[in-house]
Amino acid sequence: MKILLMGHPNVGKSAVFNRLTGAKVTESNYPGTTVDYTKGYMRLEGKDVEIIDVPGTFSLEPKDKAEEVAVKMLKENRDSVIICVIDSVKLERGLYLALEIIEEGYPVVIALNMWDVAEDKNIRIDVEKLENILGVPIVPTIAVSGEGIKELVSRIKEASPIDIEKIVEKAGGVEQ
Amino acid sequence: MKLTVDERWDLIDKIAKQTVKYGKYRHTLKDAIAEITVKPLTGIPIAIAVLYGFWSFFGAFAGFFTDGFLVKLFDNHWLPWLQEVFPGKGGWVYYILVGDPMADNCFEAFGMLTSGLFVAIGVVLPAIVAFYLFLIILEDSGYLPRLAVLVDTVLHKIGLHGFAVVPMILSLGCNVPAVAATRTLETRKQRFMMATLLAIFIPCGAQLGIMLEVIPGYVGFVMIYLLTGFFIFGFILNKLIPGKSPEILLDVPPYHMPIARNVRRKLWVRVRSFFTVAIPFVLLGVVIVNIMYLTGFLDWLANLLEPILCGWFGVPKETVGPLIAAFLRKDLAVAQLSAIEMSTYQLVTSVILVSLYFPCVATFAMLIKEGREGGWKGVAQYLFGSLAALIAVVFLWGGLVHLIWIILGVA
Repeated sequence: MKILLMGHPNVGKSAVFNRLTGAKVTESNYPGTTVDYTKGYMRLEGKDVEIIDVPGTFSLEPKDKAEEVAVKMLKENRDSVIICVIDSVKLERGLYLALEIIEEGYPVVIALNMWDVAEDKNIRIDVEKLENILGVPIVPTIAVSGEGIKELVSRIKEASPIDIEKIVEKAGGVEQ
Repeated sequence: MKLTVDERWDLIDKIAKQTVKYGKYRHTLKDAIAEITVKPLTGIPIAIAVLYGFWSFFGAFAGFFTDGFLVKLFDNHWLPWLQEVFPGKGGWVYYILVGDPMADNCFEAFGMLTSGLFVAIGVVLPAIVAFYLFLIILEDSGYLPRLAVLVDTVLHKIGLHGFAVVPMILSLGCNVPAVAATRTLETRKQRFMMATLLAIFIPCGAQLGIMLEVIPGYVGFVMIYLLTGFFIFGFILNKLIPGKSPEILLDVPPYHMPIARNVRRKLWVRVRSFFTVAIPFVLLGVVIVNIMYLTGFLDWLANLLEPILCGWFGVPKETVGPLIAAFLRKDLAVAQLSAIEMSTYQLVTSVILVSLYFPCVATFAMLIKEGREGGWKGVAQYLFGSLAALIAVVFLWGGLVHLIWIILGVA
């Protein structure tokens, strides 16, 4: 099993990666800091598991070279659990990529990162309800300070492939 | 089952409606700062102030350590001590490691342990630390994407867009990560253009540091001359190279206060790579140049290239040594230039030549790596394309400085 960290550019994937592995990957506050993938190892239930910091991508249809790397990493690692890092302030946009990955049949865990920024902006996300609809583990995190990272790790094992039809059903259907 | 794009957005809409509540949002000081730094009327003066601040900090910090402390340490203590205790004065080992036994400063001695260590640790190290300290704060605060928005219009004129300013600024530290950062540009044309322009026109932090020591009064002129060249040749390349330059939508992240731990960690990573990657190259460069000198190869090459160097560029033929060193390390090359007898204007011309001329070997390797996406053909395109641009630029832009000096009557 491998773990892939995926998400939009500048949502804090590298910060989560550094927190999980103790590595020193460059974190910055601009989109496109990570242009190539970095591998590391983290302890998960007594075993060393490989984890990959993937360059940011908006969707699974790449539009630049860094995004191509991201999509290629996903396709090459079919046996992975995906930690989908979402900027809590831009939940909708982040969910688009998360849903695409879920539709591809990967087990997904969602990290609602920059939770503090969302709170500052008075954006309230009902995590329990969201978890209920999507059926995947969802954990609010503040990667730069490390909040929520422990819970994120402890819930990786709960991730399993979810049928998109179930999500559609729970959300109340979609317009065809 | 897979959803269509519309279905997926519709689903997200439904989910969001049930799970997200947007409360009242008050404008904070952060938002006010965010706005004034991105609106052109206030943003451009602020950008100029920030960049000027960057430059002043760089010069002041590096100058404080280099001129105030390290130059004295190397010239008054390290060099005389080494000249005295090192055995075999006059022999070739002495020449390679210590250099000229009569030299009274570390710029002129040109031995591996004298000039090599002095350039690397005495001059470039403080410059690198100063540069990255400021850059990391810009990176972590979220200012860079705002700068990208501001310069978007200008960069569009040469077929790039605002975000290309990020590799440009990274390049002022080191061209290698800057060339890697061109991957965020959309088309192959943009990536090639940017990588080539960076490798040719943007001097790295190490080179800037040493320039401040060697031609303190002319660094501003050299920078403006190089940046002007960047835009002029960018404009030409944009016309010559087939391909598209699409628009981008750039996400401007909110400002964050840089976190000390992250700043420290990034600074350490960069300084460490300077020690492990750059310093060996500087030392090796001194050895190689000294060996070429001892074997007479440099003299032979200098005489061979004399018509071009003296005739076209108006610099002494001895600059051939630094030009070879420039392929290894540009900082070393500039240091070497300072030991050659010539007028200030000739020195400025040669510093410009060293900048324009061949990217250093590390950048060169990175260009090849970036070209690989197109297979062998891609590598060939990147290499020959960059080389062709480079040769044209060196002769035209390098020759033009000479012409300027002739017109001004100082050549």
